[in-house]
Amino acid sequence: MGLRKFSLRAFLKKNFDFITGILSEVGLTAAIMVVAFAICVLLVFIMR
Amino acid sequence: MIPSLTREDLKIIGYNLRNAFYITGVFLLVPIVVAAVYREFNTVPYFLIGSALAFIIGNLLSFFLRTEKEMEVKHAIVMVALAWLIAPLLASIPIWLANATASYLDAGFEAISGFTGTGLTVATGIDYMSHSINFLRHFLQFVGDGVGILVISLSILGRTEMSSVLAFKGESKDVGIRPSVVRTSRIIIGIAVTFLIIGTVLFTIAGIREGLDPGTAVFDGLNHSMTGYATGGFSTHSQNLLYYHSILFEVVAVILMIIGALNFNLHYAVLGGKRKEILKNIEVKVLLFWLLATGLIVSANLLNTNVYSSVEALFRKGVFHAISAQTTTGFQTVYPSHFALVWPALSIFVLSIAMIVGGSANSTSGGIKMLRVGVLFKSFKREVKRLLLPRSAVVTGSFHHIEDTPLTDKVVAGAALVAISYIVFFSIGTMITAAHGYSLEDSMFETSSALGNVGLSCGITSPAMPATLKVTYMFLMWAGRLEIIAVLVLMGFVILGLRRGIKK
Repeated sequence: MGLRKFSLRAFLKKNFDFITGILSEVGLTAAIMVVAFAICVLLVFIMR
Repeated sequence: MIPSLTREDLKIIGYNLRNAFYITGVFLLVPIVVAAVYREFNTVPYFLIGSALAFIIGNLLSFFLRTEKEMEVKHAIVMVALAWLIAPLLASIPIWLANATASYLDAGFEAISGFTGTGLTVATGIDYMSHSINFLRHFLQFVGDGVGILVISLSILGRTEMSSVLAFKGESKDVGIRPSVVRTSRIIIGIAVTFLIIGTVLFTIAGIREGLDPGTAVFDGLNHSMTGYATGGFSTHSQNLLYYHSILFEVVAVILMIIGALNFNLHYAVLGGKRKEILKNIEVKVLLFWLLATGLIVSANLLNTNVYSSVEALFRKGVFHAISAQTTTGFQTVYPSHFALVWPALSIFVLSIAMIVGGSANSTSGGIKMLRVGVLFKSFKREVKRLLLPRSAVVTGSFHHIEDTPLTDKVVAGAALVAISYIVFFSIGTMITAAHGYSLEDSMFETSSALGNVGLSCGITSPAMPATLKVTYMFLMWAGRLEIIAVLVLMGFVILGLRRGIKK
Protein backbone atom coordinates (compact mmCIF):
# COMPACT_ATOMS: atom_id res chain seq x y z
CA MET A 1 0.00 0.00 0.00
CA GLY A 2 2.70 2.40 1.16
CA LEU A 3 5.06 1.36 -1.64
CA ARG A 4 2.51 2.27 -4.32
CA LYS A 5 2.63 5.87 -3.15
CA PHE A 6 6.43 5.92 -3.03
CA SER A 7 7.98 8.37 -5.46
CA LEU A 8 11.74 8.32 -5.94
CA ARG A 9 11.70 11.90 -7.21
CA ALA A 10 9.83 13.12 -4.11
CA PHE A 11 12.15 11.12 -1.82
CA LEU A 12 15.28 12.57 -3.46
CA LYS A 13 13.83 16.08 -3.37
CA LYS A 14 12.90 15.78 0.30
CA ASN A 15 16.29 14.35 1.31
CA PHE A 16 18.45 16.30 -1.15
CA ASP A 17 20.60 18.01 1.50
CA PHE A 18 21.08 14.79 3.44
CA ILE A 19 22.08 12.73 0.41
CA THR A 20 24.41 15.37 -1.03
CA GLY A 21 25.86 15.82 2.46
CA ILE A 22 26.75 12.14 2.68
CA LEU A 23 28.18 12.27 -0.86
CA SER A 24 30.28 15.32 0.15
CA GLU A 25 31.76 13.44 3.11
CA VAL A 26 32.43 10.31 1.07
CA GLY A 27 33.88 12.62 -1.62
CA LEU A 28 36.25 14.10 0.97
CA THR A 29 37.52 10.63 1.91
CA ALA A 30 37.89 9.74 -1.79
CA ALA A 31 39.87 12.95 -2.39
CA ILE A 32 42.18 12.13 0.54
CA MET A 33 42.77 8.65 -0.86
CA VAL A 34 43.49 9.98 -4.36
CA VAL A 35 45.97 12.58 -3.04
CA ALA A 36 47.63 9.96 -0.81
CA PHE A 37 47.90 7.54 -3.73
CA ALA A 38 49.40 10.32 -5.89
CA ILE A 39 51.95 10.98 -3.13
CA CYS A 40 52.91 7.28 -3.16
CA VAL A 41 53.30 7.32 -6.98
CA LEU A 42 55.46 10.45 -6.78
CA LEU A 43 57.60 8.98 -4.00
CA VAL A 44 58.29 5.80 -5.94
CA PHE A 45 58.98 7.84 -9.08
CA ILE A 46 61.39 10.23 -7.31
CA MET A 47 63.16 7.85 -4.92
CA ARG A 48 63.52 4.81 -7.20
CA MET B 1 38.62 27.48 49.19
CA ILE B 2 37.14 24.28 47.79
CA PRO B 3 34.10 23.23 49.87
CA SER B 4 34.30 19.87 51.67
CA LEU B 5 32.43 16.86 50.35
CA THR B 6 28.98 16.25 51.77
CA ARG B 7 26.74 13.19 51.83
CA GLU B 8 24.44 15.09 49.49
CA ASP B 9 27.27 15.30 46.92
CA LEU B 10 27.63 11.51 46.99
CA LYS B 11 23.85 11.06 46.78
CA ILE B 12 23.61 13.29 43.72
CA ILE B 13 26.43 11.41 41.97
CA GLY B 14 25.11 7.96 42.93
CA TYR B 15 21.52 8.75 42.00
CA ASN B 16 22.48 10.12 38.57
CA LEU B 17 24.84 7.20 38.03
CA ARG B 18 21.89 4.79 37.99
CA ASN B 19 21.22 5.63 34.33
CA ALA B 20 24.64 4.26 33.36
CA PHE B 21 23.70 0.97 35.06
CA TYR B 22 20.32 0.81 33.35
CA ILE B 23 21.68 1.57 29.91
CA THR B 24 24.51 -0.97 30.32
CA GLY B 25 21.87 -3.50 31.38
CA VAL B 26 20.02 -2.84 28.11
CA PHE B 27 23.24 -3.05 26.06
CA LEU B 28 23.99 -6.49 27.49
CA LEU B 29 20.63 -7.81 26.29
CA VAL B 30 21.26 -6.92 22.62
CA PRO B 31 23.78 -9.74 21.88
CA ILE B 32 21.05 -12.23 22.88
CA VAL B 33 19.49 -11.53 19.46
CA VAL B 34 22.77 -12.61 17.81
CA ALA B 35 22.91 -15.66 20.11
CA ALA B 36 19.39 -16.60 18.99
CA VAL B 37 20.25 -16.17 15.29
CA TYR B 38 23.35 -18.39 15.58
CA ARG B 39 21.67 -20.78 18.08
CA GLU B 40 24.33 -20.09 20.73
CA PHE B 41 21.94 -20.56 23.63
CA ASN B 42 24.76 -21.44 26.03
CA THR B 43 25.89 -17.79 26.05
CA VAL B 44 22.43 -16.35 26.83
CA PRO B 45 22.73 -16.80 30.65
CA TYR B 46 26.02 -14.84 30.62
CA PHE B 47 24.31 -11.78 29.14
CA LEU B 48 21.31 -12.18 31.43
CA ILE B 49 23.53 -12.33 34.53
CA GLY B 50 25.44 -9.17 33.52
CA SER B 51 22.24 -7.34 32.62
CA ALA B 52 20.40 -8.40 35.80
CA LEU B 53 23.30 -7.25 37.95
CA ALA B 54 23.27 -3.86 36.22
CA PHE B 55 19.52 -3.40 36.78
CA ILE B 56 19.72 -4.54 40.43
CA ILE B 57 22.54 -2.07 41.26
CA GLY B 58 20.77 0.69 39.31
CA ASN B 59 17.56 0.09 41.27
CA LEU B 60 19.44 0.04 44.59
CA LEU B 61 21.04 3.41 43.75
CA SER B 62 17.67 4.76 42.70
CA PHE B 63 15.98 3.54 45.92
CA PHE B 64 18.60 4.48 48.51
CA LEU B 65 20.08 7.65 47.00
CA ARG B 66 16.96 9.33 45.61
CA THR B 67 17.39 13.09 45.50
CA GLU B 68 15.72 15.93 43.65
CA LYS B 69 18.80 18.17 43.73
CA GLU B 70 20.32 19.17 40.39
CA MET B 71 23.87 18.21 39.47
CA GLU B 72 26.64 20.78 39.49
CA VAL B 73 29.66 20.63 37.17
CA LYS B 74 31.78 18.70 39.73
CA HIS B 75 29.03 16.08 40.22
CA ALA B 76 28.55 15.62 36.47
CA ILE B 77 32.25 15.18 35.77
CA VAL B 78 32.73 12.67 38.61
CA MET B 79 29.54 10.85 37.57
CA VAL B 80 30.75 10.53 33.96
CA ALA B 81 34.21 9.35 35.03
CA LEU B 82 32.63 6.67 37.24
CA ALA B 83 30.11 5.68 34.54
CA TRP B 84 32.98 4.97 32.16
CA LEU B 85 34.48 2.61 34.77
CA ILE B 86 31.28 0.89 35.83
CA ALA B 87 29.90 0.17 32.36
CA PRO B 88 33.02 -1.77 31.26
CA LEU B 89 33.14 -3.63 34.59
CA LEU B 90 29.58 -4.88 33.99
CA ALA B 91 30.19 -5.60 30.30
CA SER B 92 33.22 -7.68 31.19
CA ILE B 93 31.01 -10.21 33.04
CA PRO B 94 29.69 -12.06 29.92
CA ILE B 95 33.16 -11.92 28.32
CA TRP B 96 34.67 -13.51 31.42
CA LEU B 97 31.91 -16.11 31.91
CA ALA B 98 32.24 -17.18 28.25
CA ASN B 99 35.98 -17.81 28.79
CA ALA B 100 36.80 -15.42 25.96
CA THR B 101 39.76 -14.18 27.99
CA ALA B 102 42.26 -15.89 30.26
CA SER B 103 41.21 -14.03 33.43
CA TYR B 104 38.73 -11.49 34.81
CA LEU B 105 41.42 -8.81 34.55
CA ASP B 106 41.71 -9.57 30.83
CA ALA B 107 37.92 -9.43 30.47
CA GLY B 108 37.99 -6.01 32.14
CA PHE B 109 40.80 -4.93 29.81
CA GLU B 110 38.78 -6.09 26.78
CA ALA B 111 35.63 -4.30 27.97
CA ILE B 112 37.45 -1.02 28.71
CA SER B 113 39.23 -1.28 25.37
CA GLY B 114 35.80 -1.79 23.80
CA PHE B 115 33.87 0.96 25.55
CA THR B 116 36.63 3.53 25.07
CA GLY B 117 36.96 2.63 21.40
CA THR B 118 40.60 1.68 21.76
CA GLY B 119 40.78 -1.75 20.16
CA LEU B 120 43.80 -3.23 21.94
CA THR B 121 42.84 -6.83 22.61
CA VAL B 122 43.85 -9.59 25.03
CA ALA B 123 41.03 -11.94 24.01
CA THR B 124 42.03 -15.49 23.21
CA GLY B 125 40.82 -17.37 20.13
CA ILE B 126 38.97 -14.48 18.48
CA ASP B 127 38.66 -16.52 15.27
CA TYR B 128 36.77 -19.26 17.12
CA MET B 129 34.86 -17.04 19.54
CA SER B 130 31.08 -17.39 19.70
CA HIS B 131 29.29 -14.90 17.43
CA SER B 132 27.35 -13.34 20.29
CA ILE B 133 30.44 -12.60 22.43
CA ASN B 134 32.33 -11.36 19.39
CA PHE B 135 29.36 -9.14 18.52
CA LEU B 136 29.36 -7.79 22.09
CA ARG B 137 32.99 -6.65 21.72
CA HIS B 138 32.14 -4.69 18.57
CA PHE B 139 28.81 -3.44 19.90
CA LEU B 140 30.55 -2.01 22.97
CA GLN B 141 32.75 0.08 20.71
CA PHE B 142 29.78 1.37 18.75
CA VAL B 143 27.66 2.32 21.76
CA GLY B 144 30.56 3.39 23.95
CA ASP B 145 32.82 5.34 21.66
CA GLY B 146 30.65 5.66 18.55
CA VAL B 147 27.73 7.28 20.31
CA GLY B 148 28.49 7.60 24.03
CA ILE B 149 26.87 5.82 26.97
CA LEU B 150 25.36 8.97 28.41
CA VAL B 151 24.24 10.30 25.04
CA ILE B 152 22.16 7.14 24.66
CA SER B 153 20.85 7.28 28.21
CA LEU B 154 19.87 10.93 27.71
CA SER B 155 18.06 10.20 24.47
CA ILE B 156 16.13 7.29 25.97
CA LEU B 157 15.62 8.28 29.57
CA GLY B 158 15.76 12.04 29.18
CA ARG B 159 16.91 14.37 31.94
CA THR B 160 16.58 17.97 32.94
CA GLU B 161 18.45 20.24 30.60
CA MET B 162 21.10 21.37 33.10
CA SER B 163 22.11 17.85 34.12
CA SER B 164 22.23 16.74 30.51
CA VAL B 165 24.43 19.60 29.36
CA LEU B 166 26.84 18.87 32.19
CA ALA B 167 26.92 15.15 31.40
CA PHE B 168 27.63 15.98 27.75
CA LYS B 169 30.59 18.10 28.75
CA GLY B 170 31.97 15.34 30.95
CA GLU B 171 31.70 12.79 28.14
CA SER B 172 33.74 15.01 25.76
CA LYS B 173 30.71 15.47 23.52
CA ASP B 174 30.15 19.14 24.17
CA VAL B 175 28.04 19.54 21.06
CA GLY B 176 25.84 22.57 20.80
CA ILE B 177 23.87 21.35 17.78
CA ARG B 178 20.41 22.08 19.16
CA PRO B 179 19.07 23.85 22.22
CA SER B 180 17.43 20.63 23.41
CA VAL B 181 20.04 18.14 24.62
CA VAL B 182 17.69 15.19 24.22
CA ARG B 183 17.16 16.17 20.58
CA THR B 184 20.92 16.64 20.13
CA SER B 185 21.61 13.16 21.47
CA ARG B 186 19.01 11.72 19.09
CA ILE B 187 20.70 13.51 16.18
CA ILE B 188 24.07 12.02 17.22
CA ILE B 189 22.49 8.54 17.26
CA GLY B 190 20.82 9.21 13.90
CA ILE B 191 24.13 10.19 12.28
CA ALA B 192 25.86 7.12 13.77
CA VAL B 193 23.12 4.73 12.57
CA THR B 194 23.16 6.26 9.07
CA PHE B 195 26.88 5.64 8.67
CA LEU B 196 26.53 2.23 10.32
CA ILE B 197 24.06 1.16 7.63
CA ILE B 198 26.18 2.61 4.80
CA GLY B 199 29.32 0.93 6.19
CA THR B 200 27.60 -2.43 6.67
CA VAL B 201 26.34 -2.42 3.07
CA LEU B 202 29.78 -1.48 1.68
CA PHE B 203 31.67 -4.02 3.84
CA THR B 204 29.14 -6.73 2.94
CA ILE B 205 29.54 -6.05 -0.79
CA ALA B 206 33.34 -6.10 -0.33
CA GLY B 207 33.10 -9.37 1.62
CA ILE B 208 30.92 -11.11 -0.98
CA ARG B 209 33.21 -9.81 -3.74
CA GLU B 210 36.18 -11.37 -1.88
CA GLY B 211 34.43 -14.75 -1.66
CA LEU B 212 32.86 -14.73 1.81
CA ASP B 213 29.49 -16.44 2.11
CA PRO B 214 26.64 -13.89 2.47
CA GLY B 215 26.00 -14.71 6.15
CA THR B 216 29.64 -14.20 7.14
CA ALA B 217 29.90 -11.13 4.90
CA VAL B 218 26.94 -9.48 6.69
CA PHE B 219 28.21 -10.44 10.18
CA ASP B 220 31.75 -9.24 9.47
CA GLY B 221 30.40 -6.19 7.64
CA LEU B 222 28.16 -5.13 10.52
CA ASN B 223 30.90 -5.62 13.12
CA HIS B 224 33.60 -3.81 11.14
CA SER B 225 31.18 -1.02 10.31
CA MET B 226 30.45 -0.55 14.02
CA THR B 227 34.12 -0.44 14.94
CA GLY B 228 35.13 1.55 11.84
CA TYR B 229 32.67 4.38 12.43
CA ALA B 230 33.43 4.29 16.17
CA THR B 231 37.14 4.53 15.27
CA GLY B 232 37.46 1.52 17.57
CA GLY B 233 39.45 -1.02 15.61
CA PHE B 234 38.23 -4.35 16.98
CA SER B 235 37.92 -7.05 14.33
CA THR B 236 36.18 -10.40 14.09
CA HIS B 237 39.58 -11.95 13.35
CA SER B 238 42.77 -12.08 15.38
CA GLN B 239 44.74 -10.80 12.38
CA ASN B 240 42.44 -7.79 12.16
CA LEU B 241 41.91 -6.56 8.55
CA LEU B 242 45.06 -8.37 7.43
CA TYR B 243 42.90 -11.51 7.49
CA TYR B 244 41.06 -10.43 4.32
CA HIS B 245 44.08 -9.32 2.23
CA SER B 246 41.54 -7.17 0.41
CA ILE B 247 42.02 -3.67 -0.96
CA LEU B 248 38.22 -3.31 -1.14
CA PHE B 249 37.91 -3.93 2.59
CA GLU B 250 40.71 -1.46 3.24
CA VAL B 251 39.12 1.27 1.08
CA VAL B 252 35.76 0.88 2.88
CA ALA B 253 37.62 0.96 6.20
CA VAL B 254 39.40 4.20 5.21
CA ILE B 255 36.06 5.84 4.29
CA LEU B 256 34.53 4.92 7.64
CA MET B 257 37.65 5.81 9.65
CA ILE B 258 37.83 9.33 8.20
CA ILE B 259 34.07 9.93 8.51
CA GLY B 260 34.20 8.69 12.12
CA ALA B 261 36.99 11.15 12.85
CA LEU B 262 34.90 14.14 11.75
CA ASN B 263 33.14 16.41 14.23
CA PHE B 264 29.41 15.75 14.96
CA ASN B 265 28.76 19.47 14.46
CA LEU B 266 30.34 19.22 11.03
CA HIS B 267 28.23 16.15 10.16
CA TYR B 268 25.13 18.02 11.26
CA ALA B 269 26.01 21.13 9.25
CA VAL B 270 26.97 19.20 6.10
CA LEU B 271 24.01 16.79 6.23
CA GLY B 272 21.78 19.80 6.86
CA GLY B 273 22.83 21.48 3.60
CA LYS B 274 25.90 23.51 4.59
CA ARG B 275 28.21 21.55 2.30
CA LYS B 276 30.81 24.32 1.97
CA GLU B 277 31.53 23.97 5.69
CA ILE B 278 33.60 20.89 4.85
CA LEU B 279 36.14 23.11 3.03
CA LYS B 280 36.13 26.01 5.50
CA ASN B 281 36.27 24.17 8.83
CA ILE B 282 39.55 24.54 10.74
CA GLU B 283 39.41 20.92 11.95
CA VAL B 284 39.03 19.49 8.44
CA LYS B 285 41.98 21.59 7.24
CA VAL B 286 44.21 20.50 10.15
CA LEU B 287 43.08 16.86 9.79
CA LEU B 288 43.88 16.89 6.07
CA PHE B 289 47.30 18.41 6.72
CA TRP B 290 48.19 15.88 9.46
CA LEU B 291 46.85 12.90 7.50
CA LEU B 292 48.81 13.75 4.37
CA ALA B 293 51.94 14.78 6.28
CA THR B 294 51.90 11.56 8.33
CA GLY B 295 51.20 9.46 5.22
CA LEU B 296 54.00 11.19 3.30
CA ILE B 297 56.65 10.82 6.03
CA VAL B 298 55.76 7.19 6.83
CA SER B 299 55.60 6.16 3.15
CA ALA B 300 58.87 7.94 2.29
CA ASN B 301 60.59 6.34 5.28
CA LEU B 302 59.26 2.85 4.43
CA LEU B 303 60.40 3.28 0.82
CA ASN B 304 63.78 4.67 1.81
CA THR B 305 64.48 1.76 4.15
CA ASN B 306 63.33 -0.81 1.57
CA VAL B 307 60.52 -2.15 3.76
CA TYR B 308 58.09 -1.68 0.87
CA SER B 309 58.97 -0.71 -2.67
CA SER B 310 55.75 -0.72 -4.71
CA VAL B 311 53.11 2.02 -4.90
CA GLU B 312 50.40 -0.45 -3.85
CA ALA B 313 52.33 -1.63 -0.78
CA LEU B 314 53.10 1.96 0.28
CA PHE B 315 49.43 2.88 -0.02
CA ARG B 316 48.03 -0.25 1.65
CA LYS B 317 50.57 -0.34 4.47
CA GLY B 318 52.08 3.15 4.91
CA VAL B 319 49.09 5.39 4.12
CA PHE B 320 46.56 2.96 5.59
CA HIS B 321 48.30 2.88 8.97
CA ALA B 322 48.82 6.66 8.90
CA ILE B 323 45.04 7.07 8.50
CA SER B 324 44.32 4.34 11.06
CA ALA B 325 46.62 6.04 13.60
CA GLN B 326 45.50 9.61 12.90
CA THR B 327 41.79 8.78 13.11
CA THR B 328 42.60 6.69 16.24
CA THR B 329 40.88 3.62 14.77
CA GLY B 330 43.51 0.92 15.02
CA PHE B 331 42.57 -1.25 12.03
CA GLN B 332 45.77 -3.09 11.17
CA THR B 333 46.99 -4.75 7.96
CA VAL B 334 50.40 -5.90 9.19
CA TYR B 335 51.32 -8.31 11.99
CA PRO B 336 52.08 -6.53 15.29
CA SER B 337 55.62 -7.94 15.22
CA HIS B 338 56.12 -6.14 11.89
CA PHE B 339 55.87 -2.79 13.65
CA ALA B 340 58.37 -3.88 16.28
CA LEU B 341 60.88 -5.70 14.11
CA VAL B 342 60.57 -4.47 10.51
CA TRP B 343 59.24 -0.89 10.50
CA PRO B 344 61.91 1.81 10.94
CA ALA B 345 62.01 3.96 14.10
CA LEU B 346 61.00 7.16 12.30
CA SER B 347 57.72 5.62 11.07
CA ILE B 348 56.96 4.28 14.55
CA PHE B 349 57.69 7.73 16.04
CA VAL B 350 55.51 9.58 13.50
CA LEU B 351 52.64 7.11 14.00
CA SER B 352 52.96 7.58 17.78
CA ILE B 353 52.61 11.36 17.39
CA ALA B 354 49.63 10.88 15.06
CA MET B 355 47.95 8.64 17.66
CA ILE B 356 48.41 11.22 20.42
CA VAL B 357 47.20 14.10 18.24
CA GLY B 358 44.11 12.17 17.11
CA GLY B 359 41.02 13.19 15.13
CA SER B 360 38.34 15.84 15.52
CA ALA B 361 36.80 17.11 18.75
CA ASN B 362 33.24 15.89 19.41
CA SER B 363 33.86 12.93 17.14
CA THR B 364 34.37 9.26 17.86
CA SER B 365 38.15 9.59 17.79
CA GLY B 366 40.53 10.10 20.69
CA GLY B 367 43.73 12.04 21.29
CA ILE B 368 44.36 15.76 21.83
CA LYS B 369 42.02 16.56 18.89
CA MET B 370 42.45 18.61 15.74
CA LEU B 371 40.46 21.60 16.95
CA ARG B 372 42.88 22.09 19.85
CA VAL B 373 45.90 21.59 17.58
CA GLY B 374 44.45 24.16 15.17
CA VAL B 375 43.78 26.61 17.99
CA LEU B 376 47.32 26.17 19.37
CA PHE B 377 48.81 26.66 15.90
CA LYS B 378 46.76 29.83 15.40
CA SER B 379 47.84 31.13 18.80
CA PHE B 380 51.52 30.52 17.96
CA LYS B 381 51.00 32.47 14.75
CA ARG B 382 49.30 35.27 16.70
CA GLU B 383 52.16 35.46 19.21
CA VAL B 384 54.80 35.63 16.47
CA LYS B 385 52.79 38.39 14.79
CA ARG B 386 52.48 40.24 18.10
CA LEU B 387 56.28 40.15 18.57
CA LEU B 388 56.95 41.41 15.06
CA LEU B 389 54.49 44.30 15.18
CA PRO B 390 54.94 47.55 17.17
CA ARG B 391 53.85 47.43 20.83
CA SER B 392 50.83 49.61 20.21
CA ALA B 393 49.40 47.25 17.58
CA VAL B 394 46.36 45.18 18.59
CA VAL B 395 46.67 41.62 17.32
CA THR B 396 43.50 39.55 17.24
CA GLY B 397 42.79 36.14 15.82
CA SER B 398 39.87 33.92 14.95
CA PHE B 399 39.13 30.49 13.53
CA HIS B 400 36.24 29.01 11.61
CA HIS B 401 34.49 26.05 13.18
CA ILE B 402 30.85 26.03 12.03
CA GLU B 403 30.93 29.77 12.77
CA ASP B 404 33.71 32.32 13.10
CA THR B 405 35.04 32.18 16.65
CA PRO B 406 37.44 34.67 18.25
CA LEU B 407 40.73 33.25 19.45
CA THR B 408 40.53 34.23 23.11
CA ASP B 409 43.14 33.49 25.77
CA LYS B 410 40.59 31.25 27.53
CA VAL B 411 40.19 29.08 24.41
CA VAL B 412 43.96 28.82 23.96
CA ALA B 413 44.54 28.02 27.65
CA GLY B 414 41.90 25.25 27.54
CA ALA B 415 43.52 23.68 24.47
CA ALA B 416 47.00 23.96 26.00
CA LEU B 417 45.85 22.37 29.27
CA VAL B 418 44.49 19.27 27.55
CA ALA B 419 47.56 19.00 25.28
CA ILE B 420 49.95 19.26 28.25
CA SER B 421 47.91 16.67 30.21
CA TYR B 422 48.21 14.22 27.31
CA ILE B 423 51.97 14.78 27.04
CA VAL B 424 52.41 14.20 30.80
CA PHE B 425 50.31 10.99 30.78
CA PHE B 426 52.07 9.81 27.61
CA SER B 427 55.48 10.32 29.24
CA ILE B 428 54.47 8.48 32.41
CA GLY B 429 52.91 5.60 30.42
CA THR B 430 56.00 5.29 28.22
CA MET B 431 58.26 5.18 31.28
CA ILE B 432 56.14 2.47 32.96
CA THR B 433 56.12 0.37 29.75
CA ALA B 434 59.87 0.80 29.24
CA ALA B 435 60.42 -0.18 32.89
CA HIS B 436 58.89 -3.57 32.01
CA GLY B 437 61.80 -4.19 29.63
CA TYR B 438 60.39 -3.02 26.30
CA SER B 439 62.34 -0.74 23.94
CA LEU B 440 61.64 3.00 24.10
CA GLU B 441 60.09 3.20 20.61
CA ASP B 442 57.82 0.20 21.24
CA SER B 443 56.86 1.70 24.62
CA MET B 444 56.00 5.03 23.00
CA PHE B 445 53.98 3.32 20.29
CA GLU B 446 51.90 1.11 22.61
CA THR B 447 51.39 3.90 25.18
CA SER B 448 50.20 6.39 22.59
CA SER B 449 47.91 3.70 21.20
CA ALA B 450 46.31 3.15 24.62
CA LEU B 451 46.15 6.82 25.64
CA GLY B 452 44.90 7.97 22.22
CA ASN B 453 42.26 5.18 22.20
CA VAL B 454 43.73 3.81 18.96
CA GLY B 455 44.41 0.07 19.15
CA LEU B 456 47.41 -0.34 16.84
CA SER B 457 49.81 -2.74 18.54
CA CYS B 458 53.45 -3.61 18.10
CA GLY B 459 52.89 -6.80 20.07
CA ILE B 460 53.24 -5.61 23.66
CA THR B 461 49.52 -6.01 24.33
CA SER B 462 48.79 -9.71 24.68
CA PRO B 463 47.32 -12.07 27.28
CA ALA B 464 50.89 -12.71 28.46
CA MET B 465 51.52 -9.02 29.20
CA PRO B 466 52.37 -8.30 32.89
CA ALA B 467 49.29 -7.51 35.02
CA THR B 468 50.77 -4.15 36.09
CA LEU B 469 51.02 -3.11 32.44
CA LYS B 470 47.45 -4.28 31.78
CA VAL B 471 46.22 -2.08 34.65
CA THR B 472 48.36 0.83 33.39
CA TYR B 473 46.87 0.59 29.91
CA MET B 474 43.34 0.21 31.31
CA PHE B 475 43.90 3.46 33.20
CA LEU B 476 45.35 5.20 30.13
CA MET B 477 42.45 4.08 27.90
CA TRP B 478 39.93 5.32 30.47
CA ALA B 479 41.77 8.62 31.03
CA GLY B 480 42.22 9.16 27.29
CA ARG B 481 38.53 8.64 26.59
CA LEU B 482 37.61 11.24 29.20
CA GLU B 483 40.26 13.65 27.89
CA ILE B 484 42.12 13.36 31.22
CA ILE B 485 40.54 16.38 32.94
CA ALA B 486 37.54 14.35 34.22
CA VAL B 487 39.95 11.81 35.72
CA LEU B 488 41.88 14.57 37.48
CA VAL B 489 38.62 15.98 38.88
CA LEU B 490 37.65 12.50 40.16
CA MET B 491 41.09 12.17 41.78
CA GLY B 492 40.64 15.58 43.38
CA PHE B 493 37.24 14.49 44.67
CA VAL B 494 38.69 11.34 46.25
CA ILE B 495 41.65 13.20 47.79
CA LEU B 496 39.29 15.84 49.18
CA GLY B 497 37.14 13.13 50.77
CA LEU B 498 40.16 11.36 52.28
CA ARG B 499 41.74 14.54 53.69
CA ARG B 500 38.71 16.30 55.06
CA GLY B 501 36.22 13.47 55.43
CA ILE B 502 32.60 13.57 54.28
CA LYS B 503 30.41 16.14 56.05
CA LYS B 504 26.70 15.65 56.70
